[in-house]
Amino acid sequence: MPSTATPETAEEIEAGTVSDPDRPWITVVWNDPINLMSYVTHVFMTVFGYPKPKAEKLMLDVHHRGRAVVSSGTRERMELDVHTLHGYGLWATLEQQT
Amino acid sequence: MKVGRRKGRLRLRLEPVEVQLLHSLFAQLEAVLDGPDGDGAEAIRGRLVPDGYRDDPKAADEFRRLTADTLRAERDERLDACRAELAESGEVDITDPEAARRWIQVLNDLRLAFGTRLGVTEDDRPYVDPDDPDAELRAIYHWLSAVQDSVVSELMG
Repeated sequence: MPSTATPETAEEIEAGTVSDPDRPWITVVWNDPINLMSYVTHVFMTVFGYPKPKAEKLMLDVHHRGRAVVSSGTRERMELDVHTLHGYGLWATLEQQT
Repeated sequence: MKVGRRKGRLRLRLEPVEVQLLHSLFAQLEAVLDGPDGDGAEAIRGRLVPDGYRDDPKAADEFRRLTADTLRAERDERLDACRAELAESGEVDITDPEAARRWIQVLNDLRLAFGTRLGVTEDDRPYVDPDDPDAELRAIYHWLSAVQDSVVSELMG
């Protein structure tokens, strides 16, 4: 996200090959060079109803660590969250928690 | 463009030249969404509909099959709505949360399209070198960013 000049390295995540129905699914938002920090914070507040401090913390995690887990739950629920975030132009994916 | 609250209403106020510019940007975005590949159109469409699964191409394809049409229809709807609201007046009331949402989403779609075309990086500063062949695109991109930031700041309070 623009606003500071910190270079980012996305952590590598390990792809789970064995599907365990008990492990929850998570929605991950990845850092990108276009979406504004203020916009990303606003989207987290609007889509998830998070208070501003929590939304800002998640936004900063995306910015500094390259990614942040923004929600968790069933696979269907996470697909809906990712779909909504794509509508806002955020770079979001879902995966099963490792 | 100015964003401000007066008598409890949140409004965007645009100069006539900005109204013209936005109408032209809406038309350009529509052309990219509808148009043939080439001139970076695929990259922009790819950025607007990214993969939903990072390490599972099959699941990503299936997810795209299920969501791409809806995302596309939503983009068309808000482009049409914003275009109608903008009309000629240059003043748009975005007090209603739905109106605010479609405006920030449309502004963001435009930023994603221009940012992708320009290959914007994390370190880009809102400075435009007049000798840069993309100077005009960059100036528009930074203007969109400033407008987006003002609207979002007002919405967050």
